[in-house]
This record gives sequence, structure tokens and C-alpha cells, in this order.
Amino acid sequence: MKLILKLPPDNDEGIVYSLPFGFTESGDKCDGIFAVTDKDICIYIDGKIEEVYKISDFTEFYVRRGVGTSMIQGKSANGEVIGLCGFTQDLFPRYGEVAKLLSHYIRTGELIRDTGADEPVCPKCGMPLEGSSECVFCKSKTSTMLRLVKMILPYRKSFIIALVCTVLSQSILVTYPYLDRLLIDKYVTPKNEHLAGIILIALSMIGLRLIEGVFNYFNMKHSFKVSLNIGRNIRESVFRKSQQLSMNAISRRTAGELINRISNDAAKLEDFITANGKDAIVDIFSVLVIGGLLFAMNPKLALMAVLPIPFVLMLSKKLHEIMAVNYTRVWKYSTHHGELLHDILNGIRVVKTYGSEKREAVRYNDCSEKLARMNIRAETIWYMTMPFSWFLITAGNYFVLYFGGKSVLGETMSLGQLVQFTTYVSMLYGPLSWFIYIPRTFADASVSAGKIFEILDERSDIMDNEDSREIDINGDIEFSDVSFGYKAYDPVLKEISCKIKKGEMIGIVGHSGVGKSTMINLIMRLYDCTEGEISIDGVPIKNIAQNSLRSQIGVVLQETFLFDGSVYDNIAYADPTASFEDIIRAAKTANAHDFIVKLPDGYNTKVGNKGFQLSGGERQRIAIARAILRDPKILILDEATASLDTRTEKQIQQALDRLTEGRTTIAIAHRLSTLSNADRLFVLDKGRLAETGTHKELMSQKGVYYKLVMAQRETTKMRSAV
Amino acid sequence: MTNNEELYKVDELNLLDCKKIHFTHEKSGFLTLEYEGKTYHKTDPTRLIPFFSKTTYISLSYESEEQEFREIGVIKDMADLDEEQYNLLDSFLKYKYFMPEILKVYNIRDNMQGSIFVKSLTTSGEKTICVKDWYQNFRMLSDNYLYVNDADGNKYFCEDIHKLDKKSLAVLEMFT
Repeated sequence: MKLILKLPPDNDEGIVYSLPFGFTESGDKCDGIFAVTDKDICIYIDGKIEEVYKISDFTEFYVRRGVGTSMIQGKSANGEVIGLCGFTQDLFPRYGEVAKLLSHYIRTGELIRDTGADEPVCPKCGMPLEGSSECVFCKSKTSTMLRLVKMILPYRKSFIIALVCTVLSQSILVTYPYLDRLLIDKYVTPKNEHLAGIILIALSMIGLRLIEGVFNYFNMKHSFKVSLNIGRNIRESVFRKSQQLSMNAISRRTAGELINRISNDAAKLEDFITANGKDAIVDIFSVLVIGGLLFAMNPKLALMAVLPIPFVLMLSKKLHEIMAVNYTRVWKYSTHHGELLHDILNGIRVVKTYGSEKREAVRYNDCSEKLARMNIRAETIWYMTMPFSWFLITAGNYFVLYFGGKSVLGETMSLGQLVQFTTYVSMLYGPLSWFIYIPRTFADASVSAGKIFEILDERSDIMDNEDSREIDINGDIEFSDVSFGYKAYDPVLKEISCKIKKGEMIGIVGHSGVGKSTMINLIMRLYDCTEGEISIDGVPIKNIAQNSLRSQIGVVLQETFLFDGSVYDNIAYADPTASFEDIIRAAKTANAHDFIVKLPDGYNTKVGNKGFQLSGGERQRIAIARAILRDPKILILDEATASLDTRTEKQIQQALDRLTEGRTTIAIAHRLSTLSNADRLFVLDKGRLAETGTHKELMSQKGVYYKLVMAQRETTKMRSAV
Repeated sequence: MTNNEELYKVDELNLLDCKKIHFTHEKSGFLTLEYEGKTYHKTDPTRLIPFFSKTTYISLSYESEEQEFREIGVIKDMADLDEEQYNLLDSFLKYKYFMPEILKVYNIRDNMQGSIFVKSLTTSGEKTICVKDWYQNFRMLSDNYLYVNDADGNKYFCEDIHKLDKKSLAVLEMFT
């Protein structure tokens, strides 16, 4: 990252880092430069040096993120915090890097001068390219559309059949005006009563209609085949990608938003590719054929018919811009609508408990009304402009009728020819009208395509590298100087180093938000550590294939999620190949079998998408059975008994004791008594590993753990008193 | 301080008496507060309802020696402070919540991939604000209040878009 952005005016000698800033340490606006040499930090304000700090006077540097601004601060040897300067958020990553490098310099004596170039950014919008060759935000719409068209390739055979059938049926249509002309010029105008000729024309028309019907049948059959397959492929790709995305990426989006992308956006593209992709080719073909016929018949009249087309194309471009914005707004409100619905229905128990059904109905109505308003607005703009465009495109017809009529009267053209010509003109306007609809369909589809490709193109933060391999885990875990922050500049865990031996049971304790769950998230590699390394059996987890790693880790969480299905399905989720006997054994070990037997349909009892029919303890025991069936080498218990009453907790504890036997187990619990059988306790404090040892050892140390225990005893006493 | 006292304090909304408040700047960039004979270092004032009021309901807090959050109390209305104290706190809050105000919107370009580029005049000069995921980060918090969070994390606002000139309003209309 480039860390010299603006040099001090008079002195750039020995400058290692130099960044601009906009606020003094007391928050006053200014025009300043923060310059670092190998010894000093110099603060320049309005071009003059204002303050010089010796780097050696500090023990640590960090940035503190505010709401609209942030500040770089240094901690002096006596613990005093000194604010150095304030800056706007666009400079935050650079100051964060400077603080990290300065702290590294203090710790190791190594001053890193080569900070590399900036991450490549899009020259147009300035957004990071993140490994792509082209900015996903500034990619031309044509390339997005071409990508869509490429999706047809696997079904090109069906697509070509549909296309050929459509072209053939369109070609048949061109013959009808010719037959009309024959009928008028040979039989109607001269009042010729030669019946055989008339019957022959009528039979030709019927025959052509039948052939057209056959072509239409094959066209529809193959069109649907392409359409439905492409829709399925898009939905599957987005779903698969959403499963591969890291927790970081997933948590940036709501479930409602992802559902909207997988279902609604995919359906829109499905429609667009088949209907418009094929129509486009057919319509362009029709315009060329009919246009050719018109020019061959009467070039002067043909020119009059096509005169308005350039104006229509210009109007079409403008319309596209307007419609695109409107459809984006519709998309925005539609997504919000989906999210709200998901939110309310998911929290229906809370809604009912608080008796807020009416309030939620009002909230929903309001959202639904806004969506309807946006839709009405988009459609109104469309239908207000569409008749005008249609008038413009068909304006040439009036000239054709006027001058064509004069030619018929002047006998330079027959009536049949004029009828044939005007019919062709009408047939030309059909495909041309497609150009008017382009803005609407193109805008709507490109919004959805953008949303779909945004997910498909997203690079997962957690990826297997080339050396990743599958291993059989024994259960030794080692943290070496591990630091991690959900935001790199704001570490949750700092320099954690510890070893967990195979078969050991470790309890992690500490205040809320201290990083306990983060530690286990790192072991499961749901996130990658910012610094340091975690290894299992001596292999860095970054070199273990994610699938191999996670398949050997079992997890029991506080909030048990049961999938919509039977008790059997939910236990077998851990190992779909397990025999029924294995499942019963797992349920027995988990103390779950007895209550399952009492359920009306035994193991086939449907437990609903949230297991509503079961109590918290019962759900938890199914989760334990699931973990037992997986036979994990490493077991993680995250507040597994937190929300249970004492009796149920006892039953669960028994089940857990069986489960943890011989496995490396890491347990998190707020209720410290539940960790009494842990071999060792890790006490986290302010993101650091403050203490390790057995309960007895830690109590005698009278440190952080001792305080935690005492505070908990106090609370228990207070509860008993109440 | 016993746990009992702490629990009691956590439960209590402590509205501070503005007449007894005395702030001074400290080197760390925070404020030092003297209140009822006690001195609180590294006091961090926070607007509790930043979008609706900038000078009422200001929470004052600090980090304990264990680096735990401790709220000293809440200033109900900064107008009750004396002028010097008001200015000191106000300037700190303006710095902490630095958020240029949008005065004019010249045009908005949408790249049809979720980002918009808002060319505008703000209290910090002319800017092209790049907003990623604009349907999340370019939104109306009420019928009038526009809140913008750009790709870098800088924030912008317009308290009442209906007070902008007609052209700006027309440009905004399509995106709000």
C-alpha cells in the first residue's frame, strides 16, 4: 500500500511514510501532513512543522475509528495515550497500515520501507479490482449481456432448432401478403370468377397455416427447454456460490436478499435470455427480409416507411436510461419487501408474544404500498412514452398510404401491390416495435444480471490453496501468535499462542465479546486469521482442504438449528450414509432416544424448519446425536447448555460427557460451573490469552478468572435473594 | 466499588446537571470531564440519536481501567451548558461526527451494477461520491433526511432534500 501520498513542503529527506490529514488531535480542521522518519513522527500544519514526537517514546500505535473521522494514537511508555492527528475515513486503511508498521518497528527494530504499490483500482470508479481484470462495477452492459447470451451455448442445439422454426414460420408469414395481392389483382379487381384459382389460393393459405403451426410447436418446445434449463443453471450457480462464500461475505447480505437473487432475479434472466435472445435474432432477420422485399418492390415508398427509425433508436437510448433507474428502484423496494416479509415471518413468535400483529401489518402494508407505488411509477413512465414511440415508428405508414394511394389512382401501381406493400410495412413495424421495448426489458434484465453476476464474481475470502490436502486429524491444535479482527484494523484476538493436546478438554472463558466464539470460528476456518497461524497436528489449517477440516469437526451450538424434515433426517444430516442402527445408537448416547420413542411418529416425526414441536433440551439432544454420528476428531461446544434448566442440563451434560470422551474438545460456557470437568481453562481478557490452567490453579492465582467466578457467585446470590 | 453499586448504576439513566459539567481537552484527543468532584479521563461523548438531534441526548462515557465501557451519564440538552463548555463539546462532536452536508446534486450516474457516482457540492467542496450498494448506502432516513455512506466509509447527509434547488431535487428523485 502506498504510504507516501503528500510530502512536507521543505523537507522530504529520510521520510518513510507521509500522509495528509484534515484535523488536529483536538479536532480542529487543518491542512496537515503526518510524516515519519526512522526516528521521529513530524506533524506539519499549513506547511509548518508543529510537533515532533520520538518514535522510541512510544510502545504501541493504533488507529481509533470514529463515526465520520478517525485518529491515529500512540501509547507512551508510561501508558499515556497521545492523539497524533485526525483524518477522514478514506485515509483509514493507510493510517491503519502505518500504525501497524510503526508498532512492528518498535517491537522488532525493523522499519519496513517498501510498502508496495496500491491494490489495483478501476481507473473509472476507483474501486479495488480485487483480482479481476475488469471492474465488476464498470463493466459495460454489453459484456454483461454477452455473458448472458453465452449461457445459451450448452443448449445451442435446441436453441438453433427453435430459431430455425421461428424463422421458417416468419417466412411463411411473408407469403400471405403475396397471396392477398394475387387474390386482389387476379380475381377481385377484374371480377374474375375462375373458382379453381380462388380455391387454390385458399388451400395454399390453409396448408401454410398448418405448416406454420408445426413450426410453432417445435419452436415452443425447444424454447421452453432452453429457458427452463438456463433458469435452473442460474439458480444452481447462485445457490452454489452463496454456499461457497465466506461467513464475511454472507453476513453482508440478508437471507431475504439472497433468496431474492436466487429466485426472482434468476427468473427474470431466464425470461430475458429465451424470449428476448431468440426474439432479437428473429426480429432482426424479419427486418432485413421484409426491408429487402419493400426496397425491391418500391424503393421510394420503402424509404418513407423507414424514415422515422433513426429517431426511434435515439429515443430508445434515452428511454433506457430512464427505465433503468426506475427498475433499479423497483428492485430495491422489491428486495426490501422480501426482507421484511422474511423478517416478520421468521420472528412470528416474537410478534405474537408482544401482540404486535397490527403494527407489523401496518409496517408490511406501508412497504407493500411503496413497492406498488414504485411499480406504478415505472409502468406509468413506460406507458406514457410508449404510445409516442409507437406513433413515431409507424409515422412512415401515413406517407406510404398517401403516396401509394396516389400511385394506384395514377395506375402506376396495382391495388394488390399496395395492399401487399402496406401489409409488409405493418409486418416491418412489428419487429421494429421490439426496439421500443428494448429499454424496458434490457433495463430490467441488466439490473437482475448485475445482481446475479455480483454474487457469481465475488471472490471468496477463504479459499483452498494449491497445496491444500486432506488429512486424518488426530486432534493436536496449536495457535502461534494469532491475531484476528473482523475488520483488520480492529483486532478481536491479539497474539494468542497456545497448544491443545489430542483428547484434551479445554474450556474457554471470558467476558462477552472478548473473542471466545471468534477463537473457535478460526479453528473451523470460517475466517482466516489476520496474523499468525493455527495448525492442527502440525499442519497449518490453510493447507488443509476446508472440506476435510470441517468434516472432522463436530459442533454443538446454543441455538440449535433443525432442518425442515424428520428427526431421522436431522440426525442423519451428519452422515447420510449411516445405518438406522447407527442413528439409534447416536440418539441413545445423546440421551435423545427415550423422548424420540414417545413422539407420535418416532424417528419419522417431522420437526419443522425450526423444530417448533420440540423443547430446547430435546432439540439440543438431537444436535448432540448429530455430532456423535459425525464422530468428530475435534468437538466444539459453544454454550451448548446455556439456555437449559438444571434438570435438562444434567441430561445433556451426561450426553456431552460421553461425546467428549477421547476427543479434543473446546467448550465455551458463561456458566463457569459447566466447565468443571475441563482439563484446562483458557481465560481471554481484552482479546488476549490472559491465563491458562485448571480451575484450582486459576482460583489460587486470584486473577481474571477468579474475578469472573466471584462476580458470578455474587449474581447467583442476588438471584437467590430475589 | 462493589458489584451491587455497578448493577445499580447500569440500571439508572443518569441525566447530568449541565451546570456542574466542566470539560477540558486532553492530549489523547478525548475530553477530560470534571463532574461532582470526580475527574473522568478519555471521556467519549456520543450522540444517542445522531440523525434526529445533534445537540440533545449526548451520552458521556469512558473506558475503565479494565477497558470496559462505563457511562457517566447523559446530557439531555447541550443548550444548558455555558457557552465555553458548549463550544468545546460541540467542536468535539462535529469532529467525531464529521459529515459534509450535501448542498447541490449535479448528476448521478448509475453503473447498473449496484454503484452510483453522485457529483455534488458539499460543505467540503465539490465531490464525486462513489456509493457502493447504493440501495443500502444512499437512503432516506425519513421523508426528508438523506444519508449517504460512500465506498471509503465517509458519510454525507442532507437534512432536508426538499430545501435543495429544483434541479438537485429532480436528480435525487430518481434515486430516493
